[in-house]
Amino acid sequence: MSDNALWIILQRLRTPLLVIIVTYAIAILGMVLIPGLDDKGEVYHLSFFDAFYFISYTASTIGFGETPYDFTYEQRLWVLICIYLTVIGWFYGLGALVSVVSDKTLKFELMRSRFRKQVEKIKVDFIIVLGYTHVNVEITKQLLESGLKVVFIDESEENINHLMLEDFSQSVAVMVGNVLLIDTLKDAGIRKKNCKAIIALFDEEDKNLRVSILSKFLNPHVKVIAKSTLYETTTSLLDTDIAKVQNPFEIFAKRLDIALTSPHVLILENWIYQNSDLTDIALFLPRGRYIICGYGRFGKALQEKLEKHGIDYVFIDERHLGKREMIENETFLRANADDKAILCEAGIKEASCLIAGTQNDIDNISILITAKKLNPDIYLIARENTMEEISIFQAAKINWVFMIESILINKTALFLADALKHRFLKLVLYKDEIWATSLVNLLKSQINKNPTLITLKVCEDEAYALFHDLALGEDIKIEILLKSLSNWEKKSGAIPLLIKREAEEILLPSNESLYIGDHILFACDNSSKEEIELIASNCYELHYARFGKEKESQILKKILLAFRL
Amino acid sequence: MNLQKVISGFFFILAMTLNFGFFYGDIGNPLLHSSYELFAALVISLISTVLKIGDKTQIGSVLLASSLVADIQLIAAAIFWTVTTYTSTVDSEAMATIVSLSGGALLANITSVILYIGETLKSKR
Repeated sequence: MSDNALWIILQRLRTPLLVIIVTYAIAILGMVLIPGLDDKGEVYHLSFFDAFYFISYTASTIGFGETPYDFTYEQRLWVLICIYLTVIGWFYGLGALVSVVSDKTLKFELMRSRFRKQVEKIKVDFIIVLGYTHVNVEITKQLLESGLKVVFIDESEENINHLMLEDFSQSVAVMVGNVLLIDTLKDAGIRKKNCKAIIALFDEEDKNLRVSILSKFLNPHVKVIAKSTLYETTTSLLDTDIAKVQNPFEIFAKRLDIALTSPHVLILENWIYQNSDLTDIALFLPRGRYIICGYGRFGKALQEKLEKHGIDYVFIDERHLGKREMIENETFLRANADDKAILCEAGIKEASCLIAGTQNDIDNISILITAKKLNPDIYLIARENTMEEISIFQAAKINWVFMIESILINKTALFLADALKHRFLKLVLYKDEIWATSLVNLLKSQINKNPTLITLKVCEDEAYALFHDLALGEDIKIEILLKSLSNWEKKSGAIPLLIKREAEEILLPSNESLYIGDHILFACDNSSKEEIELIASNCYELHYARFGKEKESQILKKILLAFRL
Repeated sequence: MNLQKVISGFFFILAMTLNFGFFYGDIGNPLLHSSYELFAALVISLISTVLKIGDKTQIGSVLLASSLVADIQLIAAAIFWTVTTYTSTVDSEAMATIVSLSGGALLANITSVILYIGETLKSKR
């Protein structure tokens, strides 16, 4: 009795069904009771079958004629009444049926039960994504690529229709529903064991908070990825214990902080996200006076970092007012930044860097163009709010474009889809410039300017040969995986970046023994990637890499021995 | 007093009584079983089925099920009667089949009336 759709149909059709039964009963009874004359002029009564047959084709307006004999005038009088009675009843029933089928509640119930079945069928790990936005679509694409399934919910039917036209590599279960209702989240499978995370990147941040709280009660093991740029929301979100908070402004401020001290760390980060390769030099920030347009959430996040590095700065904003001492120190100008005179007053000619960080993309572009005219050598940083205007930003030759949407996409997708890479990135971000520079140089010289990252798990599925040798208790070092298969004394060029064991993380391991269950992250090119996978999974290749000679096949050996005997 | 209860109770009990009226009498004697009474029993049984639709409670489901059983038995009896009328003669053997089919329907109707009364007695209003 769980199928709501069937109940809606039955309940709506109660009255029409009653009307049809009653009108038929009256008409049939009348036909049977009224006497007629047969072809010999004798009195007869229609049987119930005759009457039912006649009324059936009369009510549905098919009208085969009078059977079994021509009717008398008394009968015709009754038939006349029957026609109006039954035809109206029949049409009323049909009309009700049609209106039920096109009913919104019924459609919703049908869609909901279909969605539930789709979710029920998912056997691998899956992620619930809330809301149809450009960011979420990009995240979904990356998640699907890494073998996870995705369930999508949006509040408007129109958005869901757009979503179905998106070009995903696998089918994605979609539903129209209010994400703040427990039922909707339950339908999306939040209680299932293989539901790994729920993504709530709404601009309305209290919505993100409410989703996190609901998720905590429904399933505390689900990770929640929520966007939050307001202080109060962030604290409440962290209080729920299960949410991973993404604040794009804080993220960028941290990047600026790192760029001022150790730009090579950022180069590594951009390479891990595959935004650029290792030769990118765009991130070397100049020292000197910084002009920042916009003193909202973004500006305030930056101010803290600039002060930490002792950099001379000035903010320009029309709407958000700075603190009194800032105005007195002349580090805040209340004006519209998109104005030559104002930029000159702020000292654009001597400044070394300009950050256009207002909420309006066109304003930002316009500020940058003006600034470039006044000071051609200035370093430009632009904030881009929506991805629709991406081509204008590319054409404007800006040194560093900071895209809120792509930050959210990169962070969220990497966190969910590739835990090992995410872990490595975390460790890298704590390192200093010297460490990062040497790693970048090592990667560039030993592999190429854009190495591929691969992960290997020491388990039976991914590394068959390695797993079995380790299971026999043999000690195998990580060097074995790096041997070249054409000559075992040479190396293939791959660099192991991280080994993750249960409680242990070894960054840049060398001469490290492997254990079952290890996750290893390698940087490599295409040929060394193949060699690593071969050594790990093929017992003959593993034997060659370990001992420098071919492994003899046991069966062949036995056959040879047999022949010798 | 609840008018809806009066109407549905009326139809449920009427379905049972009409059914009994048709069933009562010598099982093989066609003269003792009126076709009009079978027609009335069938129509009222169909109406009471529709009245039971839409009640999603546990007892509502069983009521609907018993009513559907009665319908099927009565429809089977009516079809059998029609077919024998037009293909052979309605002798006492055929009549016995028809009446026993309606007897099954009577049991189903009695079940549903008992359940209905039980539910009414249980209700606090």
